[in-house]
Amino acid sequence: MARAAHPEAMKPRTPGRTRTAPPLMPDEFPTRGRYLPYVLFDATGLVYMLVGLAALRVVWDLGSGPEAWGVVQEQLRHPLYVAFHGISLVSVIFVGVRFFRLFPKAQPPKIGPIAPPPEPVITAMLYATWIGVAGVMTVILAGGIF
Amino acid sequence: MKQLLLRIEPMIWLLFGQGILLGTILLTGWLLVVGLGVPLGIVPAEALSYERAHALGSNVVGRLVLLGLCALPLWKGAHHMRSLSIDFGGASRDALVATVLYAIAAAGSAVAVIAVVRL
Repeated sequence: MARAAHPEAMKPRTPGRTRTAPPLMPDEFPTRGRYLPYVLFDATGLVYMLVGLAALRVVWDLGSGPEAWGVVQEQLRHPLYVAFHGISLVSVIFVGVRFFRLFPKAQPPKIGPIAPPPEPVITAMLYATWIGVAGVMTVILAGGIF
Repeated sequence: MKQLLLRIEPMIWLLFGQGILLGTILLTGWLLVVGLGVPLGIVPAEALSYERAHALGSNVVGRLVLLGLCALPLWKGAHHMRSLSIDFGGASRDALVATVLYAIAAAGSAVAVIAVVRL
């Protein structure tokens, strides 16, 4: 009767001598060529983490009542906070532009029986969503509507 | 720990991907108004008076937006900082680094849930 083979049935008893050279970082890493934007893209992780925690603090204070909300609004005016939020905005735009350029290229040829739309259409949809949601959110938060 | 990280990797990738996509989309408007517009006086402070901000944030849509705004960037941040750590020679300490970073993201997400529930 047929049965499943052991997944390591063909594994040699002792590891063979590899002829592969040990991995080395390219000379251009981390600040030259294409590695600089790659490293910066990863480094925006720190900004995202800090801005997420900062937003969490603001939301927490909103739930704590008018006094805490007044205090956090005053603190957000501090030049360091403003500078950090400026850097955060630059990081968010950088991540958006880079990711939205990558996203259409990462699509499979078919999702089930359906082929995804052409790359320019996906890119246009992503930018329309980004600009649309950011625009509506900005107008609502700034008091334009509601 | 490495085995556990491998097992939960699909969930981490889901949260990381949404952190880039939704986090970026939501953070743009937030930073323009809450982070820069009101503090710099470009947007009148009354737009974010307590009563108005609470009314905007305490409905169902507002809570979901605020939850995504707080929690998802933490996962994007954690995963990219892990990747940065590996690239800078930290493969041997990856399990520890990943555990600490994902623990921060998970704890922050849990606090974010509490924060939006108590609005």
